[in-house]
Amino acid sequence: VIELLASVSFLASMPAVAGVLVTAGLLVISRNWRITVTALALQYFFVVLLLTRLIYPEVAAVKGLTGWLICMVFYLTERRASAIEQTEVPEKGEPVQRWRRWVLSARASFYLLAGMLVSVVAYTVALRFPLPEVPTDITIACYLLAGLGLLLLGLSQAPMQVGIGLLTFLSGFDLFYVALEPSLAVAGLLGAVSFLIALAAAYLRAAEMAARGEEVIL
Amino acid sequence: VIAGPLLLLVLPLLMAGVVYILLRWTALSALLAVGTAVALGIVVLTLPVDQPVRVWGGREIVLGETVTFFGRELVLQQADRIAMAFLFFTAAGIFFLAWREEPRSLLLPMGLGLLSLLSGALLIRPLIYAALLVEIAAALSVFALQAEGERPTRGGLRYLTFTTLALPGLLITHWLMERYALTPDATELLSMSAALLTISFSLLLGVAPFHTWVPAVASDSVPLAGAFVLTISNGAVWFLLFDFLETYPWLSSHPRFDPLISVASLAMVILGGLLAPAQRRLGTLMGYAALVDSGAALMALGIGSKQGLVLSLLSLLMRPFGLVLMAAGIGGLRASSGGADDLDALRGSGWRAPWSTAALLVGGLSAAGLPVSAGFVGRWALGRALTPSDVGAALILLLAGLGIMIGIWRGLTALLARPGNSENGQNQNTGSPDHSEGGLRAVVVAVAIAGCVVVGLFPQILAPLAIQLVEVYTFFTP
Repeated sequence: VIELLASVSFLASMPAVAGVLVTAGLLVISRNWRITVTALALQYFFVVLLLTRLIYPEVAAVKGLTGWLICMVFYLTERRASAIEQTEVPEKGEPVQRWRRWVLSARASFYLLAGMLVSVVAYTVALRFPLPEVPTDITIACYLLAGLGLLLLGLSQAPMQVGIGLLTFLSGFDLFYVALEPSLAVAGLLGAVSFLIALAAAYLRAAEMAARGEEVIL
Repeated sequence: VIAGPLLLLVLPLLMAGVVYILLRWTALSALLAVGTAVALGIVVLTLPVDQPVRVWGGREIVLGETVTFFGRELVLQQADRIAMAFLFFTAAGIFFLAWREEPRSLLLPMGLGLLSLLSGALLIRPLIYAALLVEIAAALSVFALQAEGERPTRGGLRYLTFTTLALPGLLITHWLMERYALTPDATELLSMSAALLTISFSLLLGVAPFHTWVPAVASDSVPLAGAFVLTISNGAVWFLLFDFLETYPWLSSHPRFDPLISVASLAMVILGGLLAPAQRRLGTLMGYAALVDSGAALMALGIGSKQGLVLSLLSLLMRPFGLVLMAAGIGGLRASSGGADDLDALRGSGWRAPWSTAALLVGGLSAAGLPVSAGFVGRWALGRALTPSDVGAALILLLAGLGIMIGIWRGLTALLARPGNSENGQNQNTGSPDHSEGGLRAVVVAVAIAGCVVVGLFPQILAPLAIQLVEVYTFFTP
């Protein structure tokens, strides 16, 4: 992992910030779990790239591994949920037509607009109120992650979206806080917090599917 | 030699695992959970801090011995002893009620795990690690709050969200304080810290407008697990706030401290008092009662004196009697009506679940701060302390209590409606007709009700603890 990070270290500035913007934007807009989980995994990759400029690559790699483990938890949960949902589709009617997947719904358009607005605000705030101890591009990434994470929290009450929103918000904070407190104990506890948030969200998603399954049986 | 802090952290964690394995045997798992909490409460309250005590097989426990964990200190201070005893004994009460109200729920093992984490939060230094432990506890609470076989709880997610949002402020404050120690002239660092701490603790304590998680936790979760969060987890946050005020004395002497606390507490009391009577669900009613109670404790703190601190602590010590009883009552009534707690679904349920109805009534009385209940002790004393300087605040507090009682009264009217009295002439209760409370459940609830009334009639049982605890804090000492 460290060798991989070293080989792509040329991306660890504005390209990584752009990557953060795109992936966090996708998390806000998309409700397709495959896109969401992929975007979250990529987001952790870009965050790790930026982290390598602030802390030892080994520590950044461990943070990245925690993030990808979280993505694995989400993937397995959503895959199971998707399998259960597919068994219910015949009872609910025709599946969604393939071409419709590529058309932005009114909801997605609204989320896109809201995401763009929050991104502009985050960029402006980053320039006007720079964070101490971190360079400007990382400041922008921190504000983007925190802002889009908060937006995601405000837009949905679904356990997975709330969980991903919290994790995105925490990634933004973590990116800033490692520069202030590079302690391994804090890094470990923050990693534990992220992992427990993911587990809690997955547990609630599983409960949602179990309750739905019972309703179908009844 | 066993260090006290290690015992307080490890034993509940170990017992959480044992209780989880034995969860199928409800009486045994509840007995172990209650026994562990009571034993730890007694240990923390009675054992000497600085002298070794010989226990099994010649081993010794030194309660006050400092433990170093990854370079961080775990130390049991005098103030933490009563705080932790409060957490352990309240947890024991909740576990005791859960034995009959929520058998086989994750509340017992998770509750023990949470006790370990919250004890760690009170013991660890520096305080930033406490914030992280509280956050981990919030994430674990979600598992206890979620009822098995039901849709995901809004309460657990909201609670987790607000606790996570509070985390950055607490962590950054520590860094700002370290910088201030190096550059004492940079007073803007203090202002920034004060602002961050205000926002963080507002989120954690559910101060309006960050209160939405409080009614959500109370209404959309296992009732006793909700009560656990609102009394024990929230209680730990209160003690953490006192630790911050003790560690950073400039916070309480900040010119905006008193007005800010007064405005925040008034907002909570007014909001809770206004919204409580309008609720059609008993869970949300309990949530707004908790909001008023937190507002009252904050109002006492806003007095800015030792007397105010005593009243604030007294309010915290009395809170579990009201909220836990209400939660037990709501749990029993939900069970009698197929899981719903709205007034329409509960119409007439009071006749089939009289002990749960009694628990709701007595718990409601206590949360409202009315006589013959534990809550009256703190609320009456606070009203008397406020009257000479701020009659308006005292009146608002009284009216908020009345608001909660109106909500309880509406609930009782629905619960005790005879089948012929319902609006359409039919009993709308959808619960199982063969549901009955059972003798053992009645005994458990009766014991809890008796505890609430006895403490209300004899406040000298708990009041000295609040006075003793205040002596440890120096931030209001002139």
